Amino acid sequence: MTLAELKRGQNAIITDVSSKKIPLKLLEMGCLPGNSVELVQVAPFSDPMYLNINGTHLAIRKETAIHILIETNDA
Amino acid sequence: MNGIIQNIFVFSSLTIAVVFLVRKFVWTPKKKTTKTCGSNDCGCH
Amino acid sequence: MPKQINVALIGNPNTGKTSVFNALTGLNQKVGNYPGITVEKKEGVCKLPRGVKAHIIDLPGTYSLNASSLDESVVIELLLNKNDKDYPDVAVVITDVENLKRNLLIYTQIKDLEIPTILVINMSDRMAYKGISLDIEKLEAQLDTKIALISTRKKQGVDNLKDLISNYQNLSIEPCLSTQDIDIDYFKGLKKAFPNQSLYKLWLVITQDVNFGKISRNTIKDTSSFKTKKDSDLKRLQQKETIKRYQFINNVLKEGQTIDLKTAKDLRIKLDRILTHKVWGYLIFGIILLTIFQAIYDWSSVPMDFIDNAFASLSDWTKNTLPAGAFTNLLAEGIISGLGGIVIFIPQIAFLFLFIAVLEESGYMSRVVFLMDRIMRRFGLSGKSVVPLISGTACAIPAIMATRNIESWKERLITILVTPFTTCSARLPVYLIIISLVIPEGRFFGLSYQALTLMLLYLIGFGAAVGSAWILNKILKIKSRKFFVVEMPNYKLPLFKNVALTVLEKTKSFIFGAGKIILAISIVLWFLASYGPGTEFNNAEEIVTEQYASNNLSQIELEQKIASHKLEHSFIGIAGHAIEPAIRPLGYDWKIGIAIVSSFAAREVFVGTLATIYSVGSDQEATIKNRMAAEVNPILGGPLFNLASGISLLLFYAFAMQCMSTLAIVKRETNSWKWPILQLTIMTAIAYIVALIAYQFLK
Repeated sequence: MTLAELKRGQNAIITDVSSKKIPLKLLEMGCLPGNSVELVQVAPFSDPMYLNINGTHLAIRKETAIHILIETNDA
Repeated sequence: MNGIIQNIFVFSSLTIAVVFLVRKFVWTPKKKTTKTCGSNDCGCH
Repeated sequence: MPKQINVALIGNPNTGKTSVFNALTGLNQKVGNYPGITVEKKEGVCKLPRGVKAHIIDLPGTYSLNASSLDESVVIELLLNKNDKDYPDVAVVITDVENLKRNLLIYTQIKDLEIPTILVINMSDRMAYKGISLDIEKLEAQLDTKIALISTRKKQGVDNLKDLISNYQNLSIEPCLSTQDIDIDYFKGLKKAFPNQSLYKLWLVITQDVNFGKISRNTIKDTSSFKTKKDSDLKRLQQKETIKRYQFINNVLKEGQTIDLKTAKDLRIKLDRILTHKVWGYLIFGIILLTIFQAIYDWSSVPMDFIDNAFASLSDWTKNTLPAGAFTNLLAEGIISGLGGIVIFIPQIAFLFLFIAVLEESGYMSRVVFLMDRIMRRFGLSGKSVVPLISGTACAIPAIMATRNIESWKERLITILVTPFTTCSARLPVYLIIISLVIPEGRFFGLSYQALTLMLLYLIGFGAAVGSAWILNKILKIKSRKFFVVEMPNYKLPLFKNVALTVLEKTKSFIFGAGKIILAISIVLWFLASYGPGTEFNNAEEIVTEQYASNNLSQIELEQKIASHKLEHSFIGIAGHAIEPAIRPLGYDWKIGIAIVSSFAAREVFVGTLATIYSVGSDQEATIKNRMAAEVNPILGGPLFNLASGISLLLFYAFAMQCMSTLAIVKRETNSWKWPILQLTIMTAIAYIVALIAYQFLK
C-alpha cells in the first residue's frame, strides 16, 4: 500500500520510494526505505499529512504520499 | 548675506537628495559578482 | 596564528542556529546581503579566549549541501571557494539533540570537505525530558571531532564552544565517508581526470550543476577515462550517497545515543491535538490574527500621537529659533516633517515584527502552514504562502523574500504577485489619518467604527490577494513540479533575546532603508512646493496685494493668501493642476493628486507630502490632521475630506501598487521586468476603477 492510505495514529515501515517523483530533499529528511513512519495528524480532506518519519516531524501533500510505498506492522 | 548662505544650503541638500534618489531608482550601480563553481580550476583550490 | 579567524555556523533550519549566533555575538552583529542577490547575510564578531577574535557568519539554514534554493546555494558556494574572504577556518555545525540523526547528515558532508568542523549539540536542556542520553566521548571518537553540548536557553556550554573554536587547529580534517564508495567506477574515472582535486568537492560541483541549470558545466568535461553521466543517473547516485550517509550516522548513534521512550514526555502531541485540529485549529488561528491586528491598532496609537505632536512642536521651535530664511524653512517644513513621517512608523513595525517573530520562534507558524495548505491550494497558492501574506502586513519586501521556501515555481510566482495587496504597514498611516478624518467616532458592539473600518481594509487586502491568486492560477500556464514539504518543529518558548534582536534589526533596516528615501523625497517635494517659474509665482506678493487691496484684509490673512497663491503656482502646484482632470472623478483635488503621484515611490510618502504641502500653505501651529480637516473642496465647498472622497482614497491605497522597492524586489526574485510591470499596471488600474466607482456611488 502507499503512504496516502495510512490512517491517523497508524504506524508503518517505508518499503520503497519512487525516486523519480520524490525530491532529494525529502530523502534527506529521512524518508528512506526501512525507516518507520507514523501519521500524526491530517488536515481536512486528509491533505496535507502530518507525519513522523523516524523521529522527524514533517508535513507532505497526499499527491507526494502516493509515491511512497509502505508496509503496516500488523499486516 | 544670511539669505545667500541659506540658499546655498538649500540647493546643496536638494542636490544630495536628487542624486540619492536617482542612484536608488533610476541608475543602480551594479556590482554583479558571478561566483560560479564552474570556472577556473573549478573554484575549489 | 592569525589574529582573526573566520567561523561559519551551519545547520538545519529549526536547530537554534540563530540562538547560538546571538549567544556568540550579542549586539556585535550586522545583517546585509550577499553581493548581487537578496539572500540575507548575517555576520558578527566574538571575542575568544587568549585574545583571538572570531568573525562569525550565520549561513542560511539548509538540510544538506545538495542545494535546491538560492539561500542554500550561498552555503555551498562559500564552502567551495577557498579564495572567498569569508571562507571559514573552522565550521560549526549546529544540531538539535532531539533530531540528531537527521541533523548529522550535513555534518558528514561538511566534514568531507576537509574543513575543521566542530559539532554543537544544542537544546541539551531537553535531554532528560526526552529520555535521551549521549555518550559524548564515543560520539567524538566516531565522528572524529570535538563536541560542544550547549543550551542557549539555559546559557550553558557557550564558553566551552568558544574554547573549542579557538583551538580549531587541533581538529582532525579526515572525511567521514569515502566518496569513492558511492560508485567505484564513476569516481575512479573522475579521479583520473582530475588527479589533484578532492573527489567530494568535484562531486558537489557536478551535482550542483544538476540542481542549477544556469551554471555551465564547463570545467568537468568528458576525457578518455571519464564519462559524464545523465542527470537522472546523477540523481540516483545522490540518493545512494544519502543512504550511505544515513548508514554511517545510524552506526554512530547506535553506540553513542540511547533514547528511553518511556521517560519521554511529549507536549507536542497534546498541543498538536488542539492546534492542528480540524475545528479548534482554525478557530485559534483566527483569534490569534484578530488579537494581532487589534493590538497593533490599539497599542501603537499612543506612541504615534506622541510622535506626531512632538514633531509638530519641533518644527515650530526650529522656525522660531533659527534665523529666518530658505534653509530654516527647509529644515522646519521639509526635513523635520519628513523625519516625522518615518519615525511615526516605528511603533507599528516593531509590534508586527514582534508578533511574527514570536509565531515563528514558537514553531506555531509551521502549524498554520499545515492547516492552510489545502485551502490556499484552491487559489493556486501553497500553505507556505500564508507566511508571506502575514508578513506582508508588515512589509511586502521581506514577505516576497519569504516566498523562497515555496517549492513549486507557479505557486511561488502567484504568491509574489499577490502579496503587495496585503495591507502593509506603509498603508497604515494613510489609512489611520483618513479614517480619523472621515469615519465618525462611535461604537458598534463595543468595537469602534474606526477600528472596524481598518479591519475591513485588512480583509479587502487579503480578499484582493486571494481573489487575484485564483484568477492568476486559471490564467497562468506554467508547468512546474508540484511539491510541498514542511518540517513541523517542536514547540518552543520563544527566547527573549532572539525576538528582541529580530524586532530591533527589522525596525532598524526599515528606518535606514525606507527612511532615507522618504527623507530625500521630502526635501525634493519641499523644493518643488517652495519654488516656481514665471511671474505668477515670483510676483505673488504684488498680485495678491493688488487683488485684495479693497478687501481690507488683516496682515495674517493676507500672508496666507500669498502663501497659497505661491503654492498653486509652484512647480508642484503646476504638476498637480496638470493631473487634476484625471483624479477629479475620484473626488481628489490637485493637492491630493500631488500626494498620490509622489507616493508612487512609496506609500508612506503620502502623509509626509500632505504635511509638507499644508505646512507650506499655512503658518499656524497645528498637527497634520487638523490641517487636513480644515481643507475645503474648492469646487463643491464643504470639507475636502468627506466620506465619499475618504473612502475613495482608502480604496485607492488598498489596491494601488505604490512601492518602488517592492517592484525592485519582484524584478530580482522573478528575474524579469515582465512581472513587476504587469503588477504595476494591473494594480493601478484596479485601484483607479474601484476608487472611481466608490466616489461616484457615495457622492
